[in-house]
Amino acid sequence: MSFNFAPGAANIIQMTTLKLPGVLAAWGLPHSDAVTGPDVQFLWDFILGVAVFFTVLIVVLMVFFSIRYHAKTKNQVGDHGHTHNTALELTWSIIPLILLMIMFVLGFKYYLNMDTPPSGAYKIDVQAKQWSWTFVYPNGGISDKLYLPAGRPVRLDMTSSDVLHGFWIPRLSIQKDVVPGRVMTVWIEAKKSARMWLQCAEYCGSGHSKMRARVIVEPYAQFKKSVHAIADIWKQNGKTLSLAAVGRKLHITLGCIACHNMTGAPGGVGPTWKNLAGSKVHDTNGQVVVANYQYLKSAILHPGHLKVKGYPRGIMPNTFAAQLKKIAPNGRALDALIAYINSKSKYANQQSLPPELRKSSTTVQPSAKPKTAPVKASGLPAAALPFVSKGKVLVQTFGCTGCHSVTGASGVGPTWKDLAGSAVTLTTGKVVTADYKYLREMILHPGTLLVKGATAGVMSGTYGSMLSGPKHPHEKKLKAIIWYLNSLSDHANKASWPPGVGTKK
Amino acid sequence: MTTAEISEHIGEHAPIGGNYLNQGKGIKSWLFTLDHKRIGLMYLISGLTMFFIGGMLAMVIRTQLLVPNGLIFHGSYEAYKHYNQVFTLHGIIMVFMVLVPIPPGALGNFVLPLMLGAKDVAFPRLNLLSYYLYITGAIMAVVSTLLGAVDTGWTFYTPFSIQTETYVVWMVLGIFLLGFSSILTGLNFIVTIHKLRAPGMKWFRMPMFVWASYATSIIQVAATPVLGVTLLLLVAERVMGVGIFNSALGGDPVLFQDFFWFYSHPAVYIMILPAMGIVGEIITVFSRKPIFGYKFIVMSSLAIALIGFVVWGHHLFVNGQSAEWDAIFSFMTFFVAVPSAVKVFNWLATMYKGAISLSTPMLYALSFIVLFTIGGFTGVILGALATNVVLHDTYFVVAHFHYVMMGGTIIAFIGGLHYWWPKMFGKMYNETLGRITCVMLFIGINLTFFPQFIVGAEGMPRRYATYLPQYQLYMIASTVGAYIQLAAFLLMAGYLIHSLVRGKKAPANPWGASTLDWSMASPPTTGNFQEMPVVTQGPYHYDDMEYDGRLGGFVHVDPVPALAGAGVEH
Repeated sequence: MSFNFAPGAANIIQMTTLKLPGVLAAWGLPHSDAVTGPDVQFLWDFILGVAVFFTVLIVVLMVFFSIRYHAKTKNQVGDHGHTHNTALELTWSIIPLILLMIMFVLGFKYYLNMDTPPSGAYKIDVQAKQWSWTFVYPNGGISDKLYLPAGRPVRLDMTSSDVLHGFWIPRLSIQKDVVPGRVMTVWIEAKKSARMWLQCAEYCGSGHSKMRARVIVEPYAQFKKSVHAIADIWKQNGKTLSLAAVGRKLHITLGCIACHNMTGAPGGVGPTWKNLAGSKVHDTNGQVVVANYQYLKSAILHPGHLKVKGYPRGIMPNTFAAQLKKIAPNGRALDALIAYINSKSKYANQQSLPPELRKSSTTVQPSAKPKTAPVKASGLPAAALPFVSKGKVLVQTFGCTGCHSVTGASGVGPTWKDLAGSAVTLTTGKVVTADYKYLREMILHPGTLLVKGATAGVMSGTYGSMLSGPKHPHEKKLKAIIWYLNSLSDHANKASWPPGVGTKK
Repeated sequence: MTTAEISEHIGEHAPIGGNYLNQGKGIKSWLFTLDHKRIGLMYLISGLTMFFIGGMLAMVIRTQLLVPNGLIFHGSYEAYKHYNQVFTLHGIIMVFMVLVPIPPGALGNFVLPLMLGAKDVAFPRLNLLSYYLYITGAIMAVVSTLLGAVDTGWTFYTPFSIQTETYVVWMVLGIFLLGFSSILTGLNFIVTIHKLRAPGMKWFRMPMFVWASYATSIIQVAATPVLGVTLLLLVAERVMGVGIFNSALGGDPVLFQDFFWFYSHPAVYIMILPAMGIVGEIITVFSRKPIFGYKFIVMSSLAIALIGFVVWGHHLFVNGQSAEWDAIFSFMTFFVAVPSAVKVFNWLATMYKGAISLSTPMLYALSFIVLFTIGGFTGVILGALATNVVLHDTYFVVAHFHYVMMGGTIIAFIGGLHYWWPKMFGKMYNETLGRITCVMLFIGINLTFFPQFIVGAEGMPRRYATYLPQYQLYMIASTVGAYIQLAAFLLMAGYLIHSLVRGKKAPANPWGASTLDWSMASPPTTGNFQEMPVVTQGPYHYDDMEYDGRLGGFVHVDPVPALAGAGVEH
């Protein structure tokens, strides 16, 4: 336990001398920098005025009656003739009703304005996740800070990749929950330059109270410069940054830091990145793997494939692949992140560094993959190609892609990208290879082989019969689909190919 | 009659000289009792135990928030998770195990049949079942806490409640049972009020507290099943992945919120209506004057119960509900404020030209009026749409509902406990300590929760394990207030326990109340009334009784048939 009262004491002195008079003057609501602020302030003042008037009236009457009509003896009784007065009672029903209706109408009127984004507003996308905010600007720039232009309306389209979050900037008089599965929209127009906090207002788990972001309102010209600078993550103040320095920025802006610290402190949601690169990592099966470049790459792009002991699966969103690709389609953003991880590791070595940072003089550093590497999708036998296209058509017909993406994006079911031939962890904890037999079984009898993280009964068991002929499964259709699956996978190999084509010929 | 013979007569008419506490001895005579008073007492003891646990969790919360980084849980997400578990359990215990079941379960059970002139509630066995469902639900909550305390907040919002690895299913099933207990109690009370009124007890001769219990019971019976269904769906969601509330499976998290608040907002009125009933009783008795505007107060209770069903959407103003729905719910929310205002003015008018004595129960009733007024008006600020979106999910909301729940329900409940204490146990408590404690609680509650209004408006969200340093002054004030409350409650426990052991014997009618619950000896016999009372007038009339210094209580000077035998010592 740390008893850090000393800074607290300084705060108290500061607040009692500076803040409290201001609070009293403004009736409690903080100063708002939003164009909608005065409306809210007016309504607040009005209701609070009425509230204070009636509260004081009630307390004064109560105290007055208690003294004036205080019983002098135990046997004294009150005035029994005074037990109701319809006119009086109607008065104190109707007056509050009228006042309340005024409050309702004002509240609704102002709210409609606050809730309806003006057309032509500057658009920023907001991505909320446990426990960080990411802001995506129209030029593709990604930042953990919300830059806003003063004097111009901004429309924020907000999504959540996990649970409910609450977008709240009190000083801009705006709050909206970010509901997963929906796009939530708010608009803001700040009047002048200011700095403030955005805090998560809807409870979202362990890191809820740390889920906040800096809001920076700037004059429009300065705002444009800031957003331009964000878009170019490779530079700072006009100078090109090292790959690791870019990675350091991404670590913060993509929100990796929320779960992966760089200090080595235990207790994080994900493993610390300090001394990770090049180190030995225990996976859940007790196996030890070395966190080399390939490992780190795979862990970032396909979270859940590689499971580290002690860290539950399914926490890390698999949205980073798309985000990194958006920043740099050639994979350099990913390399930057890995370079940064290497820069903080005492175990970093040639194998853990991104290829472009490896010393060219190093002796054995084969850039080409070993001969035993899995056959690439392009390596499918030519005879299989008609099956692939037929399988693709079937997949679209059956609507498989509704749940299984072919791009690596997350969905209800596991993605089919890189599935065939890969190692799959089942709910039983067993690791199996997604070979032909496995894939066939999964399609015909979903639920028997349940992939870890999946829920039984989500996938319909009717695909077998849909694919079936009168007596047995329609092998041709089934094979076509599995060929298509193989075409999507970097791990595809002969074991995952359907028999008949390529293998026998 | 021997003890053994008495044991056989549990639930039957009891002999003169004994009372419900000593008619029937041994643990079994309590565990299998069908006497509404004993069941009420068991609710009281269980409820106060849960209140103590919930209160100590609140002390942990307040202690944690003394410093911005957290005094107890700090430095890691794992630590914050523990804090989240603490505030979740605090909320669940206080809402589902104290505020909802205990005012009806303890005071309602004890007082309602006495006020109606009945021997017991309509279904005594069902009443015992309600209690055991309550206990089972509470035990399941304890088990889930030991297995892995939930960290969802008492609202169980999806999808977090589907994803968290804590024991949500156990806890939710426990609350499901608590809900059943609540439904059965409500049903029992409705039938009791309809069928078991003494001869001459017309509807508009029933005391305020009976009306309030009636309105409460309607909500319990009509709203709680929705909670049950919602919780079962949540269990199905977790266990089977049905995808109703889980956005990852195409479900809608906001639907859960709609379902949840369809119960949980009316539940607020389950909590506050009995409190209002208690306050009405206390104010008329200690003003020695019939309640002002009896019918207006009765109608306002029913209005609150009914309108209370259509305001739940104000919990969803920032959750993507359409602006049209926002408007309707905001309108209804303002509308429900009117009957509450009517009650407050009527209570004040009751005091006008009364003969007021500021005894402990009266001090609690007056505290209630002040605290409830503050809680009510801040509710109006939250009901207005434009101000709501600035204050939603902040400490302003926390302060608002604590003023209503703590300053309203709990204060009224404690006031009612002091009011009926002599009747329940036949002992008087120390009046001076009672008043001091009430003043301490009043100060403590205001010091705890008023700074939270300011800190919320200033920008502090609720359910935060850590906070920005600029809020620390308010947080410290709040914590100091909480410790004052703790001291007050410990003092109260001290003098109440002392009164049980050493307290002065209570007369039949120490306060000079005119309702039937004071017409028999304190404590009552198992069968309540020696002979069936006959009611000939309204519930409140104080000009027909006189204080008898020898008894320390009031006796009737002009015996009215309804109160024949009142004040007569055995």
